[in-house]
Amino acid sequence: MALRGPAGSGPRSRGPLDEAVAAAVENEPPAVVATGAAPEEEEEEEGRGRGLLRWDGFSAWLHCVCVVGFDLELGQAVEVIYPQHSKLTDKEKTNICYLSFPDSNSGCLGDTQFCFRFRQSSGRRMSLHCLLDQFDRDLPVYLKKDPAYFYGYVYFRQVRDKTLKRGYFQKSLVLISKLPYTHFFHTVLKQIAPEYFEKNESYLEAACNDVDRWPAPVPGKTLHLPIMGVVMKFLLFLFKVRIPTCHDKPGTTQIGQLTQQADTHISVILPTVHEVDLFRCFCPVFLHSQMLWELVLLGEPLVVMAPSPSESSETVLALVSCISPLKYCSDFRPYFTIHDSEFKEYTTRTQAPPSVILGVTNPFFAKTLQHWPHIIRIGDLKPAGEIPKQVKVKKLKNLKTLDSKPGVYTSYKPYLNRDEEIVKQLQKGVQQKRPSEAQSVILRRYFLELTQSFIIPLERYVASLMPLQKSISPWKSPPQLRQFLPEEFMKTLEKTGPQLTSRIKGDWIGLYRHFLKSPNFDGWFRTRRKEMTQKLEALHLEALCKEDLLLWIQKHTEVETVDLVLKLKNKLVQADRERLPVKPDTVEELRTHIDAIILALPEDLQGILLKTGMT
Amino acid sequence: MALRELKVCLLGDTGVGKSSIVWRFVEDSFDPNINPTIGASFMTKTVQYQNELHKFLIWDTAGQERFRALAPMYYRGSAAAIIVYDITKEETFSTLKNWVKELRQHGPPNIVVAIAGNKCDLIDVREVMERDAKDYADSIHAVFVETSAKNAININELFIEISRRIPSTDASPPPGSKGFKLRRQASEPKRSCC
Repeated sequence: MALRGPAGSGPRSRGPLDEAVAAAVENEPPAVVATGAAPEEEEEEEGRGRGLLRWDGFSAWLHCVCVVGFDLELGQAVEVIYPQHSKLTDKEKTNICYLSFPDSNSGCLGDTQFCFRFRQSSGRRMSLHCLLDQFDRDLPVYLKKDPAYFYGYVYFRQVRDKTLKRGYFQKSLVLISKLPYTHFFHTVLKQIAPEYFEKNESYLEAACNDVDRWPAPVPGKTLHLPIMGVVMKFLLFLFKVRIPTCHDKPGTTQIGQLTQQADTHISVILPTVHEVDLFRCFCPVFLHSQMLWELVLLGEPLVVMAPSPSESSETVLALVSCISPLKYCSDFRPYFTIHDSEFKEYTTRTQAPPSVILGVTNPFFAKTLQHWPHIIRIGDLKPAGEIPKQVKVKKLKNLKTLDSKPGVYTSYKPYLNRDEEIVKQLQKGVQQKRPSEAQSVILRRYFLELTQSFIIPLERYVASLMPLQKSISPWKSPPQLRQFLPEEFMKTLEKTGPQLTSRIKGDWIGLYRHFLKSPNFDGWFRTRRKEMTQKLEALHLEALCKEDLLLWIQKHTEVETVDLVLKLKNKLVQADRERLPVKPDTVEELRTHIDAIILALPEDLQGILLKTGMT
Repeated sequence: MALRELKVCLLGDTGVGKSSIVWRFVEDSFDPNINPTIGASFMTKTVQYQNELHKFLIWDTAGQERFRALAPMYYRGSAAAIIVYDITKEETFSTLKNWVKELRQHGPPNIVVAIAGNKCDLIDVREVMERDAKDYADSIHAVFVETSAKNAININELFIEISRRIPSTDASPPPGSKGFKLRRQASEPKRSCC
């Protein structure tokens, strides 16, 4: 952990990451001053004893917290941003304003929770937590941060309040974060927002201070995250979360529980940080689950029209997660409004609809997105009690009116035949009143098997593109990966296709052909290619280590030797920067080699080469 | 019986009673403490008018400044716009005149404009004279009524009058009905939206 190591210890205490972090911190004096408590900070820093500046801990979890109110003259307005030094552009603030409130039929009285996702303004300086991506590396792809987007987690309250003009309290507490831990932040908000609305800013400040003391979100660690509920009563909420890693066996879920341990100490154990109640979300369109899986897999433009932001956001997140462990690579907006800065871009009729999934509530979209090929209309989400009887996919032309019936409107013909067994199994579950969580586990496992059956042949083919070990020579640049040839891949399907692992019949070939043109394939293949190229680089580095370099320099001129030293140094920088998957001692070994070569050179050159930084 | 869908939008200052008028018309109910509309809300109601069924698709917009710029999305393609003011607040009547100007410049040609002076039950604290409002409405050929969503005064009448002013499908307009006069050619490209 680069950030935690005591500064200045060890021969190479400052890796590039440390330097970048240090530079970012040095460049940000206002951040420290703005908190207005400089002497205290140092104390706190020492108290923590891990070399973290104030707010570093906070920014590993959150970008900021916003309070958005509804001004009777102006409309939505950001009332509070905490910490005060947090940077949001005007465009980002405007987006947060609109996305934190329902945008139509605002009759939802009481408390509503939902989430949104919005584009980060361009030209923003990379913030500290983006540099901390050593955590990101070990995360499963679908939990990795997207540098271009923020998430907003909203707790909206609309209640009668006779003391206010017009008699209504309409306010949202919003957490802005890069982390896609929807379930986790949902739970945090559920605990702190009601308290906050009863109290004042100092409550929010106290909560943020607690977050600042949280340990970093290290994958694979069970984290204990206390957050002060009530300052006066010392009510302490403790979140126990385990962030999955890419090494986890997919599809393993524990059942969560809430236990009251002592009067002042409530512990919430979260079985998941990001998962939604899949069955509840798919329930209204349950018979079309498999078709929706295809549409998501293929990155087809998809819009979810829901009665409220909570239903739209849950459903969009459920759709995006149904192709897990594959990453959904296009943009998705759990809640999208007509005010969004991308509204024009996404709704224009001059181009084909983009590969995105939008969740909307404003009936206005029924007309605006009339030309979209696939529309899911859901009514109020029921607690997964009944399954709608309508079986048929609805024709798009029937989606004329603003108040059409729930269902899936599309002219899409699925490539695969529907798996009737899963339908029966889930229907039986409904009859037997099986809990929604259990139904979700079944549905999630079904999607997982489907996705894995689909992706395994691709994994197998791509692995075959790797050059042979014997083609790696230390004195040549690393060999290239073989090209991905769609037709060659298709041929492999005959013998080693998805039929080996899936009982589902249908036009798998057609599905693959379509998939190869989709953004999800593009994203998946790019990741794979990067991993494999890095593996090749690592193997090449290891091959170099095994060479007798001192023997080599005896046979070569001084210029060539200097050139070799510089090249090797560059290799080391690359290995560190890209975190190449090399064996632990390889780097040290190479470093020793370099030192030995330098010592074999004339003294004047030695001085220069030892000083020469890695470029 | 023929069914016609008529898009109607409500415009006007915050707190004048736009949502209350819609609630009275659609649900026939009144809540003195209706929550301020965020964004816009959408409701429908079908009524019979002569030998046609008129399905009103009603877009109730928020009165706050922030939403003013978005109003075109709602009034675009509207058959009628109801501009509401509060008879007990002079400044809401000034806002109304701005809405009329905006509709004249950017609204669909032939949109039926209806002016509703709401809260006419609060006659003691009146600030806008009925005569002045009526004269203004006549000068722009707009429908005019004073309404009370609270006491259900003139709400249905307001919509009936709109139905009457909408050009009927068989080209010959009923006598006495006149569309909103626009000082520009109705030739610019029409893009119906809702």
